[in-house]
Amino acid sequence: MATYITRRLLQGVVVLLLVSMVCFVMFRYTGDPVLMLAGKYATQAEREQVRKAYGLDRPVYEQYLTFLKGLTRGDFGRSYVSQIDALDMILERFPATFELALTAISISFILGVGLGVVVAVRPKGAVSRMIMAGSLFGISIPTFLIGILLVMAFSVYLNLLPPFGRGDTVQIGFWRTGLLTLSGWKHILLPALTLSGYQLAVLLRLTRAGMRETLTEEYIKTAWAKGLSPAKVILKHALRNVLIPVVTIAGLSFGELIAFSIVTETIFQWPGMGNLLLTSIFETDQPIIVTYIMLAAFIILTINILVDLLYAVLNPRIRYD
Amino acid sequence: MRRLTLMTLVAALVLALPTMALAKADLVVATDAPPKSMNPHAYSSDANLSYMSNFFDGLLQRKAPEGKLAPALATKWKRLDDVTWKFELRKGVKFHNGNKFTAADVKFTFERMKDPKYSKLLNIANSIQSIKAPNDYMVIFKTVKPVPWFAETMHMNFIVDMESSKGRDDGDYNTRPIGTGAYQLVEWVKGSYVRMKANPDYWEGAPKYKTVDIRPITEEATRFAALAGRQVDIVNGVPVTLFERVKQMGHVEIIARPARRCIYMGMSNTAGTPFADLRVRQAIAHAINEEEIIAKIMRGQATLAHQVPDVPTVGYDASIQRLPYDPAKAKQLLAAAGYANGFDITVAGPNDRYVNDEKICEAVAKYLAKVGLQVKLDVKPKSIFFDELTDYKHQFYLIGWFDGSFDFGRSTEKLLHTPNKDMGMGTYNGGKFSNGDLDGQIIASSSILDRAEREKALQAINRMSVKEVAWIPLHYQQDIFAVVKGKNVKFTPRSDRWIVAKEIR
Repeated sequence: MATYITRRLLQGVVVLLLVSMVCFVMFRYTGDPVLMLAGKYATQAEREQVRKAYGLDRPVYEQYLTFLKGLTRGDFGRSYVSQIDALDMILERFPATFELALTAISISFILGVGLGVVVAVRPKGAVSRMIMAGSLFGISIPTFLIGILLVMAFSVYLNLLPPFGRGDTVQIGFWRTGLLTLSGWKHILLPALTLSGYQLAVLLRLTRAGMRETLTEEYIKTAWAKGLSPAKVILKHALRNVLIPVVTIAGLSFGELIAFSIVTETIFQWPGMGNLLLTSIFETDQPIIVTYIMLAAFIILTINILVDLLYAVLNPRIRYD
Repeated sequence: MRRLTLMTLVAALVLALPTMALAKADLVVATDAPPKSMNPHAYSSDANLSYMSNFFDGLLQRKAPEGKLAPALATKWKRLDDVTWKFELRKGVKFHNGNKFTAADVKFTFERMKDPKYSKLLNIANSIQSIKAPNDYMVIFKTVKPVPWFAETMHMNFIVDMESSKGRDDGDYNTRPIGTGAYQLVEWVKGSYVRMKANPDYWEGAPKYKTVDIRPITEEATRFAALAGRQVDIVNGVPVTLFERVKQMGHVEIIARPARRCIYMGMSNTAGTPFADLRVRQAIAHAINEEEIIAKIMRGQATLAHQVPDVPTVGYDASIQRLPYDPAKAKQLLAAAGYANGFDITVAGPNDRYVNDEKICEAVAKYLAKVGLQVKLDVKPKSIFFDELTDYKHQFYLIGWFDGSFDFGRSTEKLLHTPNKDMGMGTYNGGKFSNGDLDGQIIASSSILDRAEREKALQAINRMSVKEVAWIPLHYQQDIFAVVKGKNVKFTPRSDRWIVAKEIR
């Protein structure tokens, strides 16, 4: 077990290094930050002055080595635009993204599993057919369209929910939360629904498939034959066995939601990390972009490792030796 | 365990109450761009300067709507000779932290502006040779060479406090502004809002609204939804595509005005290329149906441009007329120049910088194809396009321009003068357009002291640039603002689109 964990951690470090290297090289070719930094009235000489001040006149490999040296001290560099520590800037926005992703994954999980069970139990009912058709929409409509449709319906026509922002927030230590105020909840609903759409459909289909298979098993038949109540048979005996893969997928997609909620955050002007990333890409603010992508990779790697380890705990037959 | 969680929650809610009481500001303004930094010199874009104008003052200020120069921290100013400028400072002004405003702060500010680590306003800072402060309330600048528009930029060079800025942490300096402005920063939640409160001791009198929120909403559809749901009082930057829908809202008053920025096609005249022939350049101008672009692509939300500078700019000449749309004449001119069968031409431009930039490029390409040219389209994201432009890789390209100084002089140096790295000329003259006569006039104009005479010289340059078809002006974009009725907010948009909260009544 210990060797397995060490190996995974080492692999993780290598992946992170590769990611940083690719980012570093790639964003060299997506535009020159100096142009934006020096302003539109700057002369060529002034541009060179700025290039020097930011160390952008040195060869790429040299800049990369400096960056790596900084990493060993936990220093990801400073944003070109705001001159604020890149990691601090991203982490400051982490709570917003985390709460959004958490709400979204909770919606997906509760609705996805719930509806999945309903559909599996009555596969031929009218309601089930409607739910299945709806889930197809969830998978195939792109996020930004769902978001805009929701805004149009709930904010513009019905005027029920606010279309943007986070509402009132409360600062608890370093964590700024929107989940403790009514306005915060009102604001999170639309973006969370938007973000949950795809995962909801996936979890629903997964639950349904698992349930239909499990419901034909011998032990379920025995349970029915024993005269147990439907709730007990379905929820206690069948669903429990179905949940293992569902929880895995939910866990993995949680990482993805945190790392890639960019589109949703932009539509709803959610002050999270994804929003910051997009702005930074427009501004060619390389330190932020690289740090963000490394952080995203780190989150996904961590969750992957955790899920793998949890497997071994949940199912003792799995060994990683 | 469960009880503990409950207790924490209750405690958190109690703690939260005072914060919630603060929630709604007296005035909420939505705009289309977030602030990048609270360092007033970190960014020269109007989007950032707009925020700064509330926390800081310049030596001078510009008043809505036309942008007339008016006193601010300086009460009087004068150009003593070619390179010398004198400013007399206002007495009794205090910074937000209580420090007194004196000439030493001005000197410190302009010296700091020369450091690329702190400032992107290098252009104006580096033009200064020396700064002298004969007493606490007078500053004398000497510039390296004649800079006729020196005072014209003084509304955007914001003055910082010397005592507190020295030795301050950069991160702190970039997030917590300390100025003399009408408002003080309360909270900047990045990506969400900037909240500010009135400065009761402001030298121009305390502003009307005690607390103001400025909310950057970058997504067009969301800005529209905020307006529809009455979430905001003023929207700066109503999306052109949704203009008709906004007009139908009963609770909204719309103010549309021509923007300062002119969209134009820049051109080369390099020898050995078809562009060297004036007739070819004229033919291209005749081939473009700008009226149709305004009607179909801009949906009427643009004003036809006959020249690049806008009306309030020194150098604007009302007599200039653009070459009319005339495809037959275009073909004739091409044939006369020996290009009856056309030639290869590439229409370049950004696709994420100006309103409908990509579609305008496509339209121009189609018009040119119609008069028989072999057209290629080359549009790309601005971060790449402008790199190529300043590397002089394009011969025919779309860009937009306005000058923050309201003076055509600086624009001509950047856009029209033959590129010359040592002189800092022609940075954005992407096609390397070059005309010795024009260059001479541009240089000569910068030493003219008398404003009226200078205006004449700049008008002559302007006329010549259109006659020589150094560029084809297309249109001025439209700035569209919306004010939600009912609160009786009196808002006059500025030509630079800054939201200066003290001006809102």
